[in-house]
Amino acid sequence: MITYAYYPGCVAQESGKELDNATKFIAKKLGINLIPMPEASCCGGGVIDGFDKNLKLFINGRTLALAEKEGLDIMTICNTCTLTLSEVNEELINNPESMEKTNEYLAKIGLKYSGKVKVKHILYALRDDIGFDKLKEKAVKSLKGINIAPFYGCHILRPSTAVKFDDVENPRGFEELIKSLGGEPVSYARRTKCCGFQTILVNETTSTSLAGNAIYEAQEKNADVMVTPCPLCHLSMDTYQTVAAKSINKKLSLPILHLPQLIGIALGGDYAEMGFSRHNVSLRGIMAKVRQNEI
Amino acid sequence: MEFKVRAYRFNPETDEKPYYKEYAIEDYPGMTVLNALIKVKSELDGTLSFRRSCRSAICGSCAMKINGISKLACKTQVGPEIEKFGMINVEPLANMPVIRDLIVDQESFFDKIKEIKPYLLGQREDDAHNSFHPLKDGEKISQPVYYKSEFQNLTGNNDTPNCILCECCYSECGGVVGNPKYLGPAALAKLYRYSEDPRDNDKNGSRLVNGSKPDGMWDCVHCQSCEEFCPKGISPVKSIVKLHERTIKNSITFSAGSKHVVSIAKSIGETGRLDEIKVAFDSGGISGLINDLPMAFGAGLKGKIPPLRLKLIKDMEDIRLAYKELDLEEK
Repeated sequence: MITYAYYPGCVAQESGKELDNATKFIAKKLGINLIPMPEASCCGGGVIDGFDKNLKLFINGRTLALAEKEGLDIMTICNTCTLTLSEVNEELINNPESMEKTNEYLAKIGLKYSGKVKVKHILYALRDDIGFDKLKEKAVKSLKGINIAPFYGCHILRPSTAVKFDDVENPRGFEELIKSLGGEPVSYARRTKCCGFQTILVNETTSTSLAGNAIYEAQEKNADVMVTPCPLCHLSMDTYQTVAAKSINKKLSLPILHLPQLIGIALGGDYAEMGFSRHNVSLRGIMAKVRQNEI
Repeated sequence: MEFKVRAYRFNPETDEKPYYKEYAIEDYPGMTVLNALIKVKSELDGTLSFRRSCRSAICGSCAMKINGISKLACKTQVGPEIEKFGMINVEPLANMPVIRDLIVDQESFFDKIKEIKPYLLGQREDDAHNSFHPLKDGEKISQPVYYKSEFQNLTGNNDTPNCILCECCYSECGGVVGNPKYLGPAALAKLYRYSEDPRDNDKNGSRLVNGSKPDGMWDCVHCQSCEEFCPKGISPVKSIVKLHERTIKNSITFSAGSKHVVSIAKSIGETGRLDEIKVAFDSGGISGLINDLPMAFGAGLKGKIPPLRLKLIKDMEDIRLAYKELDLEEK
């Protein structure tokens, strides 16, 4: 059984609890042991270095040190947490001065970090450590006949100096996952673009028009559903979908799944277990299709 | 080996709408996309229009979208592109209007560069020095001149002076897609470069204040595309984040963006977590909350409301110590 230190991030523990629940559901089905990290703090939401760059190093260095103490790699389910922890990891490993400064702080709280932890987003942990074949093997429903638009978002791809999971110009991991579950990946240009979440509370029109453009393009390419590997993208795409529609002055009605929910329904999760009642855009149509696809 | 070049074509004087035209050409070892386009233009179709000059990745003229990503045609080899995408698809840069084929109108980009005042501010005290004059024998330039390495050491600003204004970052920028008035990565990286220059005499902090206004530094969406796709290895987004830090440390916090960042830092300092409700309130204020009320109400009906009071993380005193060590408790 493979074991990870599980770092869900703040949103998956607050407004996006359905993501945390779906992740735990699929982990159980796939035999993945997720060790909770109750001491871990927020990563800083991707903007904490705009407040103080050393604070970013200290609080995330502490999270990495907590995992190292247990001898575990970290599994994340949020793009921004993935990037922040990965950036700090790279900085600490490659810059002795940063490592020394961070370890001086960590020593005061009884921790030490030496750079051994790997930060893995669930998409690539499944690809590299579990294998998409295993998903196929464990699936009880096929996603056959469903057009699924993968939305990578930014922070599991860029900058590739910090997150090194996939080809930044032409990533394939998400598509491979969808195919392994029998689904049909939708090819569209904005799959690797930004959802705009980082400015959603600062400049809502900028932000939601980015989300709206991506949803609209996927819709035009006949997507039945869009899937995101990040709860922040999910907020932009699902919770704010009506605002996004107004921003781009187009009709939008595309259900948005969290990545673990997509896997969850293939592994037999039902509407309630996947927390679909918490979504803004209804998933009943998708579930009706999946119900007919018994393997 | 023969390969296909698929080029975006549009001549507003004769074409109703843009179209693509395909050309088949033979490659040779080391052939660049610019070599391929020059071959198309000289041997197959003289009407294909694109900018080019130095062929050495230093003038920035030949930036264009190659297989969907903004790159310098002279720095991009045909071989790896064919291997990955099977062809060479060339399109004009995004976020700027097309003049013809692969040539875009750069005016908006350069207007934004001008807007940040890309020169040293301040007036020398001595009037005689205010007008240019030839140096007399033995006269030295009174303003300090720094070698590049000294400048880097003084400012920690080790990449932005290398910008060649090719517009790849501007073309890839998510912020400009969402808000065409947004200054964009190149201009903001320059703003940072000048704000850190020890010779700059910006006595009243006008650079940081002006840069904090709407359409400025806080409209960055942190998509990281400017860093990823800069052909010169510059990271404008890191410069923008340094601008954020410098702005907040100078207490220039009138913008929603700065309030947002301060609120997140405060929330982590108090609970170890990001308090979604509090951060939303602090960033947008009452008007922001009223604006988002219908969306929040809809989310609330679905049970998607974060807890009103967050449970502290375990060992919260560790986080408090981090703030204390960094002298951030009062901020």
